[in-house]
Amino acid sequence: MISFEEFVLRAHVERQSLHAWIAAGWIVPPQTDPEPIFSDIDLARAQLIRDLREDLGVNDEGVSVILHLIDQMHGLRRSMHELLREMRGDREVDG
Amino acid sequence: MLDLRDRLAFCTPTVARMSVSEIRGLLPAFRFAHAGYKHSARWEHPVAEDLYSVLGVKRDASQEEIRSAYRQLAKKLHPDLNPGNRQAEEKFKQIASAYDILGDAEKRGRFDRGDIDASGQERPRERYYRDFHGPGAEQHTYSTSGGFADFMENEDILKEMFGRGGRTTLRLRGQDVLYRLPVEFLEAVNGATRRITMPDGGTLDVVIPKGTREGQVLRLRGKGGAGIGGGEPGDALVEIEIAPHPFFTRKGDDIHVELPVSLPEAVLGAKLDVPTPSGPVRMTVPKGANTGTVLRLRGKGVPRSDGKAGDEYVTLKVMLPERSDPELEEFAQRWQAGQRQNPRQHLEA
Repeated sequence: MISFEEFVLRAHVERQSLHAWIAAGWIVPPQTDPEPIFSDIDLARAQLIRDLREDLGVNDEGVSVILHLIDQMHGLRRSMHELLREMRGDREVDG
Repeated sequence: MLDLRDRLAFCTPTVARMSVSEIRGLLPAFRFAHAGYKHSARWEHPVAEDLYSVLGVKRDASQEEIRSAYRQLAKKLHPDLNPGNRQAEEKFKQIASAYDILGDAEKRGRFDRGDIDASGQERPRERYYRDFHGPGAEQHTYSTSGGFADFMENEDILKEMFGRGGRTTLRLRGQDVLYRLPVEFLEAVNGATRRITMPDGGTLDVVIPKGTREGQVLRLRGKGGAGIGGGEPGDALVEIEIAPHPFFTRKGDDIHVELPVSLPEAVLGAKLDVPTPSGPVRMTVPKGANTGTVLRLRGKGVPRSDGKAGDEYVTLKVMLPERSDPELEEFAQRWQAGQRQNPRQHLEA
């Protein structure tokens, strides 16, 4: 679990930006009250958002679209993995 | 793992020409001289020496051209935009490292003057977003099944898969397996039990019901392929192939048979045993019966599932004696009415 201050440092983002990203729903911390607490996946997502905006020149509208599509793609990829695994008859070891 | 020579080739052209053992002898000194290369990752992933060619720009390119070249490459190669492509990550690291130096005018100047080299510039990166989505990864806030809501309307398999947001234990019904089973004519009419051997060596007792028709498919529930993930097994589908009979033919639920009768039986009438699928039946041939006369045995055809049965139609065929008979010849000679008969009347134009 990552605190707000630590998150800002590790993700290389401005405090204000992070607030805006949370408000936009780009980052959804698992805990918000009293203080937002972040997980590792939030950190990776923030770095992706930073890459999109700073390195790839994507504007804010574009970021929303891309995040939505990427999440859908991961959902599909996951289901495809599940399907292939089941068809091969593998037994999942659930952790 | 790359060949040792390949791994060192980017350092200097001299090294590239040396034999492997020569390079090995050189390693301690080499490590000392290039302390900056000590980090093991440096040995595994040499950063190409010419950062300009990595980004595909000329040495005199403007900062804006460099930025634009990097963006073009990054859009294609960013690992999070290529979740299934492991190579993209390696290539992206190279262009990102190159851009870290060339994208910064001050660092670029130092690189051009030889003050810094291409190493040690990999951007710190903990994990990519895609790394949280591998097979077996946990569901999280960002997981969605919105990309396939439309699949779910009609496809049971996909509904099963996606219905729980991708986190599933998939249950699939086993496949149906089709068999062809040749049966005798009377087995199909009267019913029978036949044992078939399945591909896996097991056997299957197939009950052929009374009145089974040619091409009829019997469904044996649960005797097909095994299900997946606890899904129910498929069915065995047995298609019936009926062999012809030497003298019975079948039209729907009726049986047809041709019955040879002798001349006296036809002329004088008789009580005869007629074969039917359920055994011989005594039938009265009326006096004066002829070839082509059809007699019906009600209920002696093919049994139906409602307990009733079709009929058997017996077509008579008058047979003269196999060897000529003097008495019959003499009778025919003097039989006046027979001499006048014209059985071909209906053929005349």
